[in-house]
Amino acid sequence: MTPDQRDLDELVKRLLADPANSDHPMHYALSQLWLAHRELLNRIERITHVSDAYQSIAREREMSLAERFDKQLRQLEKVARISDRYQQMMRELNIALEEASTHDVLTSLANRRLLMERLKAETERAGRLQHDFCVAMVDIDHFKQVNDQHGHDTGDRVLIEIARVMQAEVREYDLCGRWGGEEFLILLPELDLASAQVVVERVRLGIRNLAIRQGTEALTITVSAGLAAHLPGESYSDTINRADAALLRAKQHGRDCLVLAS
Amino acid sequence: MSDFSIPRSQSTPAIQGKWSEGVLSMQGDSYPENSYELFHQVFEWVERFLQDAGRPLTLELHLLYLNTSSIKAMMDIFDLLEAAHHAGQPVAVNWHYDKRNERVADLAEEFKEDCTFPFAIVGF
Repeated sequence: MTPDQRDLDELVKRLLADPANSDHPMHYALSQLWLAHRELLNRIERITHVSDAYQSIAREREMSLAERFDKQLRQLEKVARISDRYQQMMRELNIALEEASTHDVLTSLANRRLLMERLKAETERAGRLQHDFCVAMVDIDHFKQVNDQHGHDTGDRVLIEIARVMQAEVREYDLCGRWGGEEFLILLPELDLASAQVVVERVRLGIRNLAIRQGTEALTITVSAGLAAHLPGESYSDTINRADAALLRAKQHGRDCLVLAS
Repeated sequence: MSDFSIPRSQSTPAIQGKWSEGVLSMQGDSYPENSYELFHQVFEWVERFLQDAGRPLTLELHLLYLNTSSIKAMMDIFDLLEAAHHAGQPVAVNWHYDKRNERVADLAEEFKEDCTFPFAIVGF
């Protein structure tokens, strides 16, 4: 309320209260106007009060909504972070499972399943693009004697060492795998028989030069190998069979040698 | 209030609530299509236990894989425990993991981060 208004209020009150004015013709009108004025002021005050209350409720609600929103946001971020980590864990487990299902536990070479998968793919590729590939079957000579004379632990060590040498002597694109027992298969893509022969001979000599310690002595291990080039239109099992037949001839020729399939 | 038990399925863990012992256990993987259906009964049981039982509550968790909605459900349950803990009620979580998979322990750590009640991560 401004000072002018307060002065006016005081003046009106004083005039209405003065008995000298009670008979004035405007006394009744002024007193009615005064009442109406007071009522109006009261009403404005009430409206202001209610409106303020509504505003503060709205504000409180807004604050609690903002708080809840922040909390939900934090929770969502956390859920997403944990979920991502679970998915990462599943991905890694899948990779480990895939590795376990395609590799030999003892030697870490490709297992028969992976070899067959790759042989199938390579046969299809050869048919499509007229590319060459060769398959070598490699068998350890007298492996049963190693096991019998030195025990299975030594036998396992021989297998591991031979796998390591094979892996080191082949080209990057070749695939070495354990076909079964003491028999290994090498898949040599994009090579004709003569070039593949060079690689397999390198593997064979590498294995013969290997000295596997057994107490005070060093074991010398030799392998026999049969090598076949995939023929156009031939299934991969036919190629393997011809490499196997060549391996058998290598064994018959006194072992420790490589024979090429006809 | 009684015990409850949900058998394990291919996509849901086995869950047991033992009212008299004050123990809620879960074992297995959790990736149900409808997590709400599975977890709302667990949530309600925990809520009622905290309200009525007047006894300590322990969660014994042997959980391996959780999908996103199951993670959310577990966090909601931990929120219940956190509120009870602030109200002075004894609650605890034991999260068990296979030591061959340390990543599960790391994930349990993530859950533990915002919890101030006893939360043990136990390798076996």
